[in-house]
Amino acid sequence: MRDPRLDRLGELIAGYSLDLQPGEVVRIEGDEVAEDLLYALYRAALRRGANAYLHVGLERLAELKLAEGTDEQLAYVSQLEWDDLEQLDAVATVWGERNTRNFTNAEPERFGRFLSARRELSKRGWERIAAGDLRWCGTLAPVEAYAQDAEMSLEEYEDFVFGACHVSGDGDPVAHWRGVTAEISRHATRLEQVRELRVVGPDTDLTLGVAGRKWQVADGKSNMPDGEVFTSPLETATTGEIRFGFPGVFEGREVADVHLRFEEGRVVGSEASRGADFLARLLQMDDGAAVLGEMAFGLNYEIDRFTRNILFDEKIGGTIHVALGSSFAELGGLNDSKLHWDLICDLRADGEVYADGELVWKQGRFLDG
Amino acid sequence: MADSSVERLASVLVGYSANVQPGELVTIEGPLVATPLILEVYREVLRAGGQPLPKLKLPREAEILYAEASDVQLDWVDPSFLGINEKADVRIIVDADTNTKSLSNVEPARQARRSRAREASRNRYLERAAAGELKWVLTAYPTAAAAQDAEMSLAEYEDFVYGAGKLFETDPVAAWREFSKHAFAAKAFLEGVRELRIVAEGTDLTLSVEGRTWEPSVGKENFPDGEVFTAPIETKVDGTIRFTYPAVFQGREVNDLELRFEGGEVVDSSASHGLEFLREMIAMDDGAKRLGEFAFGLNDGIDRFTRNILFDEKIGGTVHFALGTSYPETGGLNRSGLHWDIICDLRTRSEVYADGEVVYRDGKFLPGVL
Repeated sequence: MRDPRLDRLGELIAGYSLDLQPGEVVRIEGDEVAEDLLYALYRAALRRGANAYLHVGLERLAELKLAEGTDEQLAYVSQLEWDDLEQLDAVATVWGERNTRNFTNAEPERFGRFLSARRELSKRGWERIAAGDLRWCGTLAPVEAYAQDAEMSLEEYEDFVFGACHVSGDGDPVAHWRGVTAEISRHATRLEQVRELRVVGPDTDLTLGVAGRKWQVADGKSNMPDGEVFTSPLETATTGEIRFGFPGVFEGREVADVHLRFEEGRVVGSEASRGADFLARLLQMDDGAAVLGEMAFGLNYEIDRFTRNILFDEKIGGTIHVALGSSFAELGGLNDSKLHWDLICDLRADGEVYADGELVWKQGRFLDG
Repeated sequence: MADSSVERLASVLVGYSANVQPGELVTIEGPLVATPLILEVYREVLRAGGQPLPKLKLPREAEILYAEASDVQLDWVDPSFLGINEKADVRIIVDADTNTKSLSNVEPARQARRSRAREASRNRYLERAAAGELKWVLTAYPTAAAAQDAEMSLAEYEDFVYGAGKLFETDPVAAWREFSKHAFAAKAFLEGVRELRIVAEGTDLTLSVEGRTWEPSVGKENFPDGEVFTAPIETKVDGTIRFTYPAVFQGREVNDLELRFEGGEVVDSSASHGLEFLREMIAMDDGAKRLGEFAFGLNDGIDRFTRNILFDEKIGGTVHFALGTSYPETGGLNRSGLHWDIICDLRTRSEVYADGEVVYRDGKFLPGVL
């Protein structure tokens, strides 16, 4: 028996998120472990008249390449992949893994070489998205490995994922997400009037400049689930300290109790109770790695706990997050880096945000609702 | 720990069949159920210095497409399929099924439509192969579904599959090189023949093969392998043939098939089952009712019918005919969206005449002929 929530999620992404039209070319990509959701998306895309095809991965192949590939093989991206990308109108990416720690012991230099080649390809994808030539939505299949990271049974995790996407009940998921658009747009309009934000919480008192920057409404078009409003802060204004209540997870590695101190936009002090070396290495990756590229409010209150998966964690209703590294040019951001690492600060129990001196957010909620 | 037969198969496919060279772009195409072989092939390609590009299929993909797609969507060919045929240096294609009958209830006209849409790209791949720009090998990974069709247990079927590939020999590659000599002798003899006549119970068919090239299949493009094939002259096939085994295409069977040819075209057909499917298929396009291939099966390790054409067409002592598209390297001119191999067992009370002389009897070339 097929889980009807999978079909509803497939329809939501094909219809609402990607708004697929007859004749459009859409690639539905993901690992074999996400098979069921790939089928649901494929079916939904075909029903909308799109020219859809599946692009299926197998994580053990990447493992093999990392284990056995030469430098040249690690860095190789075939012309076929470049050519494919140019022909697409839309892409649905389904994240799914069998083991989220596959690459924990990979040699960092080899792993870096492997990733940077793929990054060139995704950079071209972002260019096409920015130019309006390509639409993209990233989503996640509830699989055992993610349930394990979230410390839940698979069934509990399925409920969590489908709940966060609003495809569980009898309600109309599209109507829900249109409501989200209206609400977050209101916040974005207000935030665009703000020059300076001050975040206050446990071991946290951080001031960020956001004057003149645009705020992006994340309402289920590019991510599903979704629910945040974000910008790229001014590169030289961030000052103060911030402690992240949730572990920072980057490519499967965890850094616990990250505490950062900023002066004139740059990290000038960093501590962690675990993974401090790794943290220091990430901060030194390049010039832009010690500068914030993103600041955001998490607004999906169906996501009420940390699950070690950034797609969900950054949207936990009542949190804010910042990202070290690359910023969003379309929002006015100027920071360039190979890093983009989201770190989450829980403000639900004891946190406040001031906008140009005025309290606007308390205990995880905007005061204007 | 991977099954060592799988490792040997992967090693022969990459080293001997495809002969992968450093820097070559090698697609590894196959369904998820063949993962153990796909992984080993991927490893061997890396070790050979190639650039492996996997293309995996999910088991229910085709079924969903046929259930949901409009005609326009069936006609669309995805860019990755076109790209592979245009740019790959090597294609390693693994055939394996979780259910060989999953498409049995699809309207045949829809399947024919899809085949037709992909024909141009497929022909491009055959052309590039004929021109030596693209190497390819098609192999099979043993699954429970295939074992079921072959009426064997999976363990028995695995032995059958790996045995047919000579993988239990001490040196499988040496065994294929030895077989190669026999197949090349058959080629040398057959290229001197103008006309072949096949005579068996219910069968008396004459084909002209004058001037055509015979291709020995020695484990390079199919694995396992073992045949020598050509394309008959498109307008010179006459007579009747009765196929002893079911004709299987895309999971469907046509039983007790008899075809009558005149001037190279099928002019009459009969079958005890599946005739309508056959007629839909040969009405697909102009080339579908002509022969694109005629071949002798030469692999004596394949001694029984298993409903998988990769094996069946090589059964030692059989011949087979393909309706539809021909392989350009044989000199064949027929083009079609169809290529349907149908097998005729000649192991009992059968003869083949070459320009009027008996050269083959009861499944074997006569002594001294080759």
